[in-house]
Amino acid sequence: MMNKFQPPQFADRLLEYFCAAHLLEEVQGDLHELYGQWVEQHGVKKARWLYIWHTLKFFRPFVLKRKELHNPTPQTMMLHNYLKVSIRNVLKYKTFSFINVFGLAVALSVCMLIILMLADQKGYDQFHVKKDRIYRILAEPKDAKAPYATTPVPLANTLKNDYPAIEASTHLIQGVGGEAIYQQRMAEMRGFFADTSFFDVFSYPLAKGNSQTALQAPNTMVITQALATSLFQEEDPLGKTVEWIDRRLPLLGGGPGDISVPWGLYTVTGVIDNKNHKSHLTFDVLISSASLPVLYAEGKMTDLSNDWPNHFQCYTYALLYPESNIQDLTASLHDIAQRQYAGLEDREDFQFSAQPLMDITPGPILGNAPNHGLPLVAYYVLASLALIIMLSACLNYTNLSIARALTRAKEIGVRKVTGALRKDLVYQFLSESMMTALLALGLAIVLLFFLKNAFMDLWINRHLRFELQENMIVYSIFVGFALIIGLFAGFYPALFLSKYRPVKVLKNIGNIQPGKLGLRRVISTSQFIISLCFIVTSLLIYRQFKHFLAFDYGFSTEHIINVPLQGNDYQLVTNELQSVAGVSTVSASEYIPATGTNNGTSLRKAGSEEEYTYFISLPADENFVENLEVDIVAGKDLPPAGTASERFIVVNEAAVKAFGYASPAEMVGLVLDSKWDSTDLEVIGVVEDFRIDLPMNRDETRPMMLRNQPDLFRYVNIKIASGDLSGTVARLAEKWKNIDPVHPFQYEFYDQQLAATHQGILDIVTIISFIAFLAITIACLGLLGMAIYTTERRTKEVGIRKVLGAKTFSIALLLSQSFLKMLLISIGIAAPLSYFLNNFWLQYLPNRVDFGIGTIVAGTLLLLVLGGITIGSQTIRAAQRNPVDSLRDE
Amino acid sequence: MRRSDLGEFEEVVLLTVAVLTPEAYSVVIAEELEQQTGKTITTGAVHAALQRLENKGFVKSEMGEATPERGGRRKRIFMVTVAGSRILHEVREVRNSLWDRIAPQSLPQINIA
Repeated sequence: MMNKFQPPQFADRLLEYFCAAHLLEEVQGDLHELYGQWVEQHGVKKARWLYIWHTLKFFRPFVLKRKELHNPTPQTMMLHNYLKVSIRNVLKYKTFSFINVFGLAVALSVCMLIILMLADQKGYDQFHVKKDRIYRILAEPKDAKAPYATTPVPLANTLKNDYPAIEASTHLIQGVGGEAIYQQRMAEMRGFFADTSFFDVFSYPLAKGNSQTALQAPNTMVITQALATSLFQEEDPLGKTVEWIDRRLPLLGGGPGDISVPWGLYTVTGVIDNKNHKSHLTFDVLISSASLPVLYAEGKMTDLSNDWPNHFQCYTYALLYPESNIQDLTASLHDIAQRQYAGLEDREDFQFSAQPLMDITPGPILGNAPNHGLPLVAYYVLASLALIIMLSACLNYTNLSIARALTRAKEIGVRKVTGALRKDLVYQFLSESMMTALLALGLAIVLLFFLKNAFMDLWINRHLRFELQENMIVYSIFVGFALIIGLFAGFYPALFLSKYRPVKVLKNIGNIQPGKLGLRRVISTSQFIISLCFIVTSLLIYRQFKHFLAFDYGFSTEHIINVPLQGNDYQLVTNELQSVAGVSTVSASEYIPATGTNNGTSLRKAGSEEEYTYFISLPADENFVENLEVDIVAGKDLPPAGTASERFIVVNEAAVKAFGYASPAEMVGLVLDSKWDSTDLEVIGVVEDFRIDLPMNRDETRPMMLRNQPDLFRYVNIKIASGDLSGTVARLAEKWKNIDPVHPFQYEFYDQQLAATHQGILDIVTIISFIAFLAITIACLGLLGMAIYTTERRTKEVGIRKVLGAKTFSIALLLSQSFLKMLLISIGIAAPLSYFLNNFWLQYLPNRVDFGIGTIVAGTLLLLVLGGITIGSQTIRAAQRNPVDSLRDE
Repeated sequence: MRRSDLGEFEEVVLLTVAVLTPEAYSVVIAEELEQQTGKTITTGAVHAALQRLENKGFVKSEMGEATPERGGRRKRIFMVTVAGSRILHEVREVRNSLWDRIAPQSLPQINIA
């Protein structure tokens, strides 16, 4: 009987690996013989399994290789020796080891944080079974800065019906944002309209319900476990009917919400268990697309199901057949674009593109993205900052290793004489550097713990929802990364040190030069250049932040709180809250100036043929101007809301200037017409300029008009007169319960709201200054190492000089000279460099702080002080030592 | 310390070696044991027992000829040594004398097919 099929080879190799040599032949022979029998009895497939299983069962003590049974090879013996020598070296030169390990650890921990961030992002959407075949379709209008994640509504169906490469496609239509009400309970819900194909493409597990039918019928909905719990608590959600009150809440949270409109009754047909399934799509609810026609008919949604030009409301995902590829999809998309947009003038060169699901997080910057996330480019920036720090730490290692060449010279010589080749020495030094890197990794994991917490506290992380979890994969990446770093850091020293000629070295140690001083100076200097650039940049951004905080908006925010109406009638809310003790005035507006939102319109003199002028349009009531303490310079304030009140507008001084009037009074009484509606507007008053745009977005104040349009109001602005702020807020909240028992009272202090618009800058300051801190720490550590080494080497010289009568100061100066020169050279290069680099971005920033020499001087002083202390700590100590001690050393 | 007593499994393996001599090697020993006892017995277990027996000096082994179904590998043929033979006889003696001393009716009756 012959073995037609070989047993699994890896099992054989495994056996060969663990089985003692004198047993291998018979054990393996037995297994092969049995394998032949198994193939006949059970077939090849099972026989292979049995083979593996029985191989593993041979994992018994008597079979295993014993230590004494195999002789250590010279290679492993040398490896042991290398490790022993490197451990001794680490322990013997504790200061240098600390400098190296600490520097590398600090840099490693930063890199590891970024690896963690990327690992988190890569963990998204991994649960979809067909994830490698799913693509998101992007829309690319000709002049857009970035592609849109949204596409026309009909695209999904066209793809599925007309193109053979696509197995399934699904659309997610925006427009679900409101409240679900079940009995007395209310829960906010945001999400999409979707149809059954959603479950063909994506693999969301349904805890309850049938994915094939859940989104089929009109007025059905699939909800997440979280929403189900808050709405139904212990009850079984399946089959329950929920009332949906729409408030046009934005998908990604926030927003004051619109007036509540009942959108009908919906039955829960499925519950998605998405707790452990990270996805770039966030939703609480999916409403069946079959519900849309009724909503179209009632005028609650605009019917876009055949609207190709509108590509702002719907996400499209396509699933390709396994044998199709992205080129097929792209070709199909080009074909669609050509057919749909050929005739349309403003959609010329409109294109679609396909984005693989796995490239979404992290991905490029997109318009209308359904998720908050750092774009890929942010990772590039962060990674390059981290790599600069890493490079700096590696250079420290290189630098110190070369500087210490002298102490190792004898060892190298002896090794070579006893027969070591250059290759062997290279291995030795590389294993040493990799060991240092692994030690650093241990420290870095501890540092990472603190770094992670600090990072999660950044303001931006309230939006990004990072989950920085370590796991085995991440740890193995860490180890791999550390080893690469060790290799990189040790590469040059290994080549350099192994070069020494034994005869020369052993004959006359005093004559070797510890490496080219030039190279080491260049390394150290560049470290300080980098440090100074970071220091100056972080100082500058911080000053810019302060500048924005102190920005004069032209209105008073003192004691003002803004309260979203949450769909309640503004008149009612105003009247009720007005009566609360401690409230001085209440006004209303559509949005809050200088918080990032604004609307616009285009106006010109009525009846003229002039160009239209852009106006910011801020619907506000008659108390708004007074409440924000903006002065009226001409005419009068807005009239109270009434029949004719919408005719009157109040403009600002910028508008007066834009229309070319010399004084504000001349503009009062002017009648304007709008490009967008037929109502004539009459200027009734002119106010001082105040800010509606964010200061970081725009330099000048744009023309603006206030108009009393109660239908549009979304916020009330409450000025609190009494000193007891918290008491008044509590009374307001109490009152609010009478007005709106359903929604909780929401409020924000206006000054805090304004400060919050700059929080993003503060994050950048934090990050850059942290990087600057690391850069300067590592640079100083390197400098410290060199200073220690040089002063040690020159102990005898110092002693002789002192005996001959040199003063402490002059010796310290002598020892510090070369380092000080280095510092000065770095400053000479870095000061102008940082000035130009920072001007590069600063000049594009509106309302910038002026970049005076002061910032650079401050940064330079900081660098000088830190560098000076580092050098001085060593040189002064060396200069003060009693020459008797140093000369006795011999 | 080399223990000179014989475990139960070792005993049956040793007996099987004696039964199968001169063609006793691990795979056939395992097969024979499976047939006789009706239990699943892996080659690994037999190997371990044979190793112990060899260490105790109850069996000796030599390499047999290579066969194609073993992928050209030789098998290790086991034979019972004098010491092995002695211990088997001793064990049998002890058992026989014990059996002989069992009074009639003192064992509950069972039907052996």
